[in-house]
Amino acid sequence: MPTEVILPKVDMDMSHGTIAAWHVAEGAAVTQGQPLFDIETDKAAMEVESPADGMVHHQTPAGTEVAIGTPVAWLYAEGEEVGPRPDGAAPAAPDARAAAQPLPQDPGVPAADHRAQPAPDQTPSAPAPKTAPDPPSDLRPDPTTGGLRATPAARAAARDAGVDLAAVSGSGPRGRVQRGDVLAFAPRRRAPSGPAVPLVLIHGFGADAGVWRALEAAVDPSRPVIQLELPGHGRVPAAKIRDFKDLVSRIRTEFDALDLPLAELVGHSLGGACALALADTRAPRVAGLTLIAPAGLGPQIDGAAIAGVARASKAESLGPWLRGMVGAPAALSDRYIAAAARARADAGLHAAQSQMAEVLFADGVQTFDLTPALARVGCPLRLIWGKRDSVIPWRHALRAPGRAALHLFDDLGHLPQIEDPAAIAALIAPVTTTTVGRAVHA
Amino acid sequence: MDGAPPTRDLSFAEALREAMDIALAEDDRVVLMGEDIGVYGGAFQVTLDLVHKYGAERVIDTPISELGGAGVAVGAALTGLWPIYEFQFSDFSTLAMEQIVNQAAKLRYMLGGAVSVPLVYRMPTGSGTGAAAQHSQSLEAWFGHVPGLKVVQPSTPADAKGLLLAALDDPDPVLIFEHKLLYKTKGAVPEGRHTVALGTAETRREGRDLTLVASGVMVDRALEAAEALAGEGVSAEVIDLRSIRPIDRDTVLASVRKTGRLMVIYEAVKTLGIGAEISAMVAESDAFDFLDAPIVRLGGAESPIPYNPTLEAAAVPQIADIVRAARDLAGGVV
Repeated sequence: MPTEVILPKVDMDMSHGTIAAWHVAEGAAVTQGQPLFDIETDKAAMEVESPADGMVHHQTPAGTEVAIGTPVAWLYAEGEEVGPRPDGAAPAAPDARAAAQPLPQDPGVPAADHRAQPAPDQTPSAPAPKTAPDPPSDLRPDPTTGGLRATPAARAAARDAGVDLAAVSGSGPRGRVQRGDVLAFAPRRRAPSGPAVPLVLIHGFGADAGVWRALEAAVDPSRPVIQLELPGHGRVPAAKIRDFKDLVSRIRTEFDALDLPLAELVGHSLGGACALALADTRAPRVAGLTLIAPAGLGPQIDGAAIAGVARASKAESLGPWLRGMVGAPAALSDRYIAAAARARADAGLHAAQSQMAEVLFADGVQTFDLTPALARVGCPLRLIWGKRDSVIPWRHALRAPGRAALHLFDDLGHLPQIEDPAAIAALIAPVTTTTVGRAVHA
Repeated sequence: MDGAPPTRDLSFAEALREAMDIALAEDDRVVLMGEDIGVYGGAFQVTLDLVHKYGAERVIDTPISELGGAGVAVGAALTGLWPIYEFQFSDFSTLAMEQIVNQAAKLRYMLGGAVSVPLVYRMPTGSGTGAAAQHSQSLEAWFGHVPGLKVVQPSTPADAKGLLLAALDDPDPVLIFEHKLLYKTKGAVPEGRHTVALGTAETRREGRDLTLVASGVMVDRALEAAEALAGEGVSAEVIDLRSIRPIDRDTVLASVRKTGRLMVIYEAVKTLGIGAEISAMVAESDAFDFLDAPIVRLGGAESPIPYNPTLEAAAVPQIADIVRAARDLAGGVV
């Protein structure tokens, strides 16, 4: 059976979207992850990737506005017979009648049966209407019950996190919201309240948002905290990174999507380099910058540790590398290492991270230099480093300009926020919009 | 684990024979009954030479009447013996339904607990041997539907021995479904008396992304599929049910809570079978909240088992079918 390509929900308030352009011609082959088409909503334009490999058929023409969840094309396997549109709708002219038909989704019914279904009142030559059809009844939230397509696990996760499921876009078949969708949505925003400027945390190479857990618990709970994850890390899909600039542009897109008027950036290691690059290009929106053992301030880095972490797939192989990074090996519990290893169990993640390491830290050398950017930082800037850091030499901190605050800890290694979260949280004192205003304009 | 008992490599059939040998030696009340189980050694050579060791009074050839043999076994059990009755093919148990379902399963209940029926029915089962529609069925769910019966389905030689001895220890009738394709498979079997508690599943492989529940020969296929899936980065947990009735609910639910995805693999006809039972069990439990995809049942075709070998293989789940379905389930395509 061909794979359905639906119009995904890419925006919270989105009910319809317009197909702006197809990247792949009708009948051509695509591979999973390849850009397939662009959609435009009232607010944004967005590229949609192909959900599977196959030949694209029955494309809904560019310029057509359709409801979310509506099929806009089908992917056929090599050699699979291409009949009429599997949903029986009139090609290129989705109308209310076609949309009202139940979707042929019973996997037990062979495709031939769908073909046998009459497609009533087909009007192949009718121009594509600008108005969208209603989504098929089983895709549309029920107006009385608010029913929507989500797995039990997603519902449970949404309950736990206090997330409104309707706000989460589903990555599953036919837009089904899955647990991962809720998790990816939920932890990013700790309810903003009060005038505090949100903290935006960017983790380092080989880690994920979990690296901030201890610090997050130690900072003022009224402070909104938002975590950005690097491509190929945590829950962010793997992507081939061309160079550091490419990495930063992806992080910048994520940051822009947060739509924050003001934020304080905290970055660790490679995430520190990203935070610095972000502060350089988004200066008006960055109220403060905290760099913890950042990359990008000198060529030296422990290439073996980087490669080791990228490859590590289990606690036994990850543990020694991580323990070698901290001032006191006992600072990392077995539980922390087991959890970190579990989060890294995906083979695709190793490949992506190894590729990234090769590009960014070729031959054990940091290939990008951010010292000019460091000199340009206009907002309050602090660098935090452990003098026992074996991954990136703490002396790189000495390249900071005179107005930066340096916090150098004798007994800490490369992971200060895990080794002594309370001390690091104390440094990241609450910054309110008013104090920021003074700091920036004084 | 009570230490590591010494083991020996035995075939599935040898392990069953060793269990019967131990039982016959331990207690005079144990008798074997069945068609051609004496000098001929059994349709699948499982009893083999036991008649020479224990004599025709304890390894009893019964006439070609399953209704008669299965019924004599019930009477013998009621009057103090511990019979093990072998069907040549479990398909022939259809002839003995009255004795199994209406007598063996119900007498303890109907006589207020005054009697019990401590017998074991051995059920050579399943397809894959070219034995066609009347000699290849998987009927375990039929019997699993009857209160008063217990139904087990070992997948390894060790479990074949352990479940057969545990079945004999049980005071009520137990049916042990022995997949014919497994008789020649080998594995380490603990020496001496070894039992596996009825109603306990075994996690054969730990995994993270999805749970494959299987029994009998499907466990081997699920394990091979899991290995192939691991190469694609999909981590499958494989649970060997071992008992169909009672089902080890806790093991299945705990696994689903962990992985969020469930596939039930069984050779019997898909509809109204073990897959439906396990799916419902999960849907009715608190593990429901952990499901992150629809449950998938991979069962046998809605048809008699064909004689043509290609069609026969196509009628029941094979490794490639499991890999394909599991890939879709884990990949969010289902």
